[in-house]
Amino acid sequence: MRHYDCKYYLAIDAFKGICKRDKSDILADDASCEYFEKAEKCIHCAHFKLVSDEMGTCMDKHEAYPQMNANTCSDFTWN
Amino acid sequence: MTTVNNFLTCKATNYYGKAPKDNVLAREIDKKPTPRVEKIRERYFDAKSSASMQFPYWYTRRWNELEGEVAMVRRAEALKSGFEHLSPAIFPGELLVMQKAEYLRGSYPMPWLSESFFLAKEDEIYKEALEAGKVSSDEVTTMGQGGGNVTKSAGNIVSIAGKFGMRKEEIPALIATSKRWHNKSVDDVGHKYEQMVPGYDTKEEIMRAVICMFDSGYTLPQGREVMNYYYPLQYGINGIIDICKSKLSDSAGFPEMDRIYFFKAVETTLYGIQTWIKNYAKEAHLLADLEKEEKQKAEYLEIAERLEWISENSPRDFRDALQLVWTFHVAVLNEDAISGLSPGRLGQVLYPYWKKDMDEGKIDEKQTLELLEAMRMKFTEIDVFASMGVVGGVLSGNTFNNLSIAGLDKDGNNAANDLEMLIMESAMTCDTPQPTLTMLYDEVTPEEFLLKGIETTKIGTGYPAWVNNRVAMEFVMQNFKKEGMDLEEARAWAIGGCLETSAGSWMPLEFNGETHYIPGGSAPATSVGVHFISVPKILEAVLFDGLDRRTGIRVYPAHGKKLETYEEVWDTFKEYFSLTVEVLTLTNNIQHDLWGKISPSIVNSMLKPDCLETGKDISRKGSRYNRTFNVEVSGGVNLANSLASLKKNVYEEKNFTLDTLRDAIDDNFGFFTAQETGSYSLIEQVKKDKSDKWLKIHSQCIDAPKYGNDDKFVDDIFRDWQIWFSEMCEGYKSLYDEPLYPCQISVSTHAPMGAVTLATPDGRLSGTTFSDGSVSAYPGTDKNGPYALFNSATCYNHSLSQNSQLNMKIHPSVVKGRDGSKKFLEMIRAYLRKGAFHAQFNIVDSRMLKEAQEEPDNYRGLMVRVAGFTQYWVELGKQIQDEVIARTEYEEI
Repeated sequence: MRHYDCKYYLAIDAFKGICKRDKSDILADDASCEYFEKAEKCIHCAHFKLVSDEMGTCMDKHEAYPQMNANTCSDFTWN
Repeated sequence: MTTVNNFLTCKATNYYGKAPKDNVLAREIDKKPTPRVEKIRERYFDAKSSASMQFPYWYTRRWNELEGEVAMVRRAEALKSGFEHLSPAIFPGELLVMQKAEYLRGSYPMPWLSESFFLAKEDEIYKEALEAGKVSSDEVTTMGQGGGNVTKSAGNIVSIAGKFGMRKEEIPALIATSKRWHNKSVDDVGHKYEQMVPGYDTKEEIMRAVICMFDSGYTLPQGREVMNYYYPLQYGINGIIDICKSKLSDSAGFPEMDRIYFFKAVETTLYGIQTWIKNYAKEAHLLADLEKEEKQKAEYLEIAERLEWISENSPRDFRDALQLVWTFHVAVLNEDAISGLSPGRLGQVLYPYWKKDMDEGKIDEKQTLELLEAMRMKFTEIDVFASMGVVGGVLSGNTFNNLSIAGLDKDGNNAANDLEMLIMESAMTCDTPQPTLTMLYDEVTPEEFLLKGIETTKIGTGYPAWVNNRVAMEFVMQNFKKEGMDLEEARAWAIGGCLETSAGSWMPLEFNGETHYIPGGSAPATSVGVHFISVPKILEAVLFDGLDRRTGIRVYPAHGKKLETYEEVWDTFKEYFSLTVEVLTLTNNIQHDLWGKISPSIVNSMLKPDCLETGKDISRKGSRYNRTFNVEVSGGVNLANSLASLKKNVYEEKNFTLDTLRDAIDDNFGFFTAQETGSYSLIEQVKKDKSDKWLKIHSQCIDAPKYGNDDKFVDDIFRDWQIWFSEMCEGYKSLYDEPLYPCQISVSTHAPMGAVTLATPDGRLSGTTFSDGSVSAYPGTDKNGPYALFNSATCYNHSLSQNSQLNMKIHPSVVKGRDGSKKFLEMIRAYLRKGAFHAQFNIVDSRMLKEAQEEPDNYRGLMVRVAGFTQYWVELGKQIQDEVIARTEYEEI
């Protein structure tokens, strides 16, 4: 898994960010560390279904994309 | 090939006075922010402009769910969903939090305004969109290659418009979301209805020839205006929701029913904004839980508590007030693509809170300074997502958050205060492009305040710009007279955007047991309407019978005249210019009407007096003042110089015929074009061969009278242009049924517009930039010193126009020390006392700029003043860099 997929990842820009746990500078696409925890993203939601590699559906009716942050979605449910 | 110094007495740089012989002189004053803010600034320097899809995804999803709902309410629900779902991001050390999107320099596309740009790049179906005239400006624009611009795709990041990085995972969502807006966006619907305007084909050719730079209705429909923070400060968010509920029950079922949709929309959007703020509060709690360091933990908890408070209530103190005004500033930015959303006279708005805290010992000057530095970083982090032609060609990546200082209070007394002194200090200690500052100079402004302004200007970042308070008040009184503007209200004006004089109002803020009349904007976006007409390019069309000579496109109907007299040239220019304004006014009116129908402003409308009183949004004349559509031009000085050359060389002295001049222009006076050499410098251009075929004619063009030398021959032509331009604008009506008025700022348009313009009769070569601003001399042609330039610049009444713009470059040695400061202030004062509106300065050794162009990595923090804005050198396109280097540098004043 990548830092980009971790709940402790704080993005500075599209390339890089900061670890919320230890404030270290990290690259989004580098491999994550032992403290990795999955971020709430659509791909991990029970309401999400992948339709292609890039896009899926939410609740069977809305287009959605797997890597979108879902930490503010009130319907998010871990799958 | 032979390199020739054009216009010059000194290689590589234009000087008035003697060229400096010593080493490159650094700027006199070099201050630093606090260590905390310095870290934030370093993080900013390392951050790339990044775009994301979260807001547009949720906005579009909710919009689609509400098919059939009233457009205003549907829009509010979409905005609410966007706000509610934005991921919060709080960065270590921040004192002021919240930003547009989750990234530090975050922004996002708004396909409801325009989606064809994204689709044209990614989807074959929409590639035909590239054929439209509107993208021509993209093709002649250069984007800065350094700093935070993502100029190339790399790894999992896709570069969009040469500026923004977007993660590859989000591109399919960008395309899918954009497709949802195909034939529904303001751009697409507007395009359909624009075609009903007589002369629409001419409009398309005008855009394709880059005689006009861009359509404002779907690119930057808001901005160039002054924020008004009164309602949230006075009532808090819950208080405004209560007002809406009360107004709703008073309006439902009564005539003018649109009011209920507006009040409902405001209420709905505010719920979204409350959730957005509370999500940040939750994030602050999360960070506090993770934090081991006690001081930082306490700061996170303080941030959380403050956010929870302001999500519902009016502010208790200065820190609350600062966070609340910042939150609403971002909220407005998030509802539209906006440049030039100015905080206005923020130091006067916040003064009651700050004064109370100071009196009670809750804050000291040191703490205030750090907060203001932190505020500067937040403003600097703002990005606006638009096409390359707009972001690069017009804005140079800048967002124009102009903070005005000084001026007069409601009763006509000096308004400058101690908090504004600290705002200036913070602009020195934390020298960043935003917010830029403007000094509303008035004869009653205290000398020490003005000298503080001089000290700030001397740091070399170009701010504060200096504007004449009384000239602006005269403009505001004239422009808004019909809508009831009086002397008292005129005193509330401020600069919106880079240099747009904007109407304001005094609002009665009740705080600490007193009523404080605070200034704030009370008009919608200015600089909408006819956006940037290239006047030298229109003169080119006159000389070539209505053709765009570069592309061969017929732009205007052939005039078929022999142009046997100077008057015939001038009259034909006026005909073509008028035709341009007419067709662009009509098409832009349609765009803005549709913007108001499809994508109306809700947050900004709520803030602007008197929308919340009347129940009308700003697109339906809900604002107190509505004469806000203008005609913007670029290249006026080149026009005057060219007309002077034609008059003298062709018609009076008959040095050569017009046909010969056309041939010389066609051959670029024997030089390579700027595009061919890759240099846009006005100084060094390259001859094609050793032939001297056009040497004499070129010399005669160059030697013709030039604006900026107190020369009556050319200054009379310049004045005639100014007066005619001001009067002709009155003949066209905006969407709001108000006459248009002139606006004269170049921003960055003098570069791409120059890039597509052939050589001009004044001797300027093909592809090089025009003169910047509106009353700046063409580089190297102002040979008689600053006071001669001032006489030329004030040959007409500046209050006829929304602005005038004068840029000057001064060597740091000239204004060194306290005596230099006083001399500098006297020079500015002399200019403003002549009736001038504006002057701004680059205090810099031009050789430093040359070095920075060659070694950009050594100059990440170097900033320059372009035309109404300050920008990091490395984030400017080469066209503008070359132009700033070429400006005349004053070694004597």
